[in-house]
Amino acid sequence: MIVTKNLKKAFGDHVVLNGINETIEQGEKVVIIGPSGSGKSTFLRCLNLLEVPTDGEIWFEDKLITDKKANINLLRKDMGMVFQQFNLFPHMTVLDNIAMAPIKLGLMTKDEAKAKAMELLGRIGLTEKANAYPNQLSGGQKQRIAIIRALAMNPKVMLFDEPTSALDPEMVGEVLDLMTQLADEGMTMVVVTHEMRFAKKVATRVLFIDEGVIVEQNTPDEFFDNPQNPRLKEFLSKIL
Amino acid sequence: MRKINPGGKNLTWFEKLYQSFYNAIVPEQRYLAYIEGLKVTLIISFLAIMLGIAIGIIIAVLNVTATNYRMKWLRTICNVYINVIRGTPLIVQLLIIYNLIFTSRNTNEMVVGAVCFGINSGAYVSEIIRAGIESIDRGQMEAGRSLGLDYIQTMRLIILPQAVKNILPALGNEFITLIKETSVAGYIAVTDLTKAAQYIGTRTWDILPPLIIAAACYLIMVLGLSKVLSGFERRLSKGDSH
Repeated sequence: MIVTKNLKKAFGDHVVLNGINETIEQGEKVVIIGPSGSGKSTFLRCLNLLEVPTDGEIWFEDKLITDKKANINLLRKDMGMVFQQFNLFPHMTVLDNIAMAPIKLGLMTKDEAKAKAMELLGRIGLTEKANAYPNQLSGGQKQRIAIIRALAMNPKVMLFDEPTSALDPEMVGEVLDLMTQLADEGMTMVVVTHEMRFAKKVATRVLFIDEGVIVEQNTPDEFFDNPQNPRLKEFLSKIL
Repeated sequence: MRKINPGGKNLTWFEKLYQSFYNAIVPEQRYLAYIEGLKVTLIISFLAIMLGIAIGIIIAVLNVTATNYRMKWLRTICNVYINVIRGTPLIVQLLIIYNLIFTSRNTNEMVVGAVCFGINSGAYVSEIIRAGIESIDRGQMEAGRSLGLDYIQTMRLIILPQAVKNILPALGNEFITLIKETSVAGYIAVTDLTKAAQYIGTRTWDILPPLIIAAACYLIMVLGLSKVLSGFERRLSKGDSH
């Protein structure tokens, strides 16, 4: 579904991604871990071209999206993204946050989009917050709404960029629960996270990125119980 | 002449004052001249504010876009406009535009004035809006783009509404300044409020009362605008809780 070939990204002289070759299949739940500054977030952000790669290719559903002529906006409709800082739109109600993009992009009528938004809100038990503004919500609520905002577009893949890192500890669970639900429903997911328990439970594959390359990858069981690379061993020993 | 109270000195003083204001307003239907002038001032101000907002938004967005995408030439164009307008006196700009660009006989001075004030205000407004846009977190643009909205849609639907909320006080200031600055429109033969007051002054040989009346009119306009703007601010602050 997503293929990267020799993906490179540098900010000035600072090389962040140094040649990543990776294939993500439909239905996979890929969890990416690594030390901070390793390039894991940059890799994720390259997948929907929030960062433009300096070199290499990215293919999404057999289309070369790094091509200059590719329509990025069309591609992004199929790739939902969830950010560490939620990035809800503070000047809109929760309902408008969710329904705005499908309406403005002509994917749904106003009524359809609002009905869909209410249905999604119902799913996370926040129907009564439809007309609230984001600043009136807790962090966990905000992030769950950010997730269903992305879902409202009916994406084919969901990208999560450290979705629980900005949350108070007691709110991490509700967000992870929703993500687990999504995974169970068969959504293709790429998740950058520090939540190792989530990785163990949900991932079909775990990648370890360090210094801009994928150092090791494996099924979660093998990955955590039998790490090979010394840098991964060191990293796991620090966090587990 | 009518004598209200022949004995009191204070009242004579008051009478004189009354008389001079009376002369400045009533005879020869002079109040109509103020109303005409007020109309002209309002029309020029309104058109100039609209034009200033339009130019300001366009220049600000171009400027920010040029910075983000490293388009040096576009940035240079924006900066030349901003620097030239901010670096030269308004009256000089007004006279240059009037004499140089609009030279045809049927020039509508009012439109020339509005265009000139609009172009002038646009430079200031664009800098205010640019500051507003830059005050919005990068994540907002990324969130909009990641949902499939294009750059312009994200700007229009997500960035600018938040930016405008942040800069409304500064923008209000600019509009207030603009309304008052239109008082130099008389330089290009527009009979605005100030000019009308001056004409009446030369007819009555008593310049102060008409000027004070004009000043009061400006004050009322500005206070009215402030009221409207604070209403806007209240409406826009809906998203801020606590």
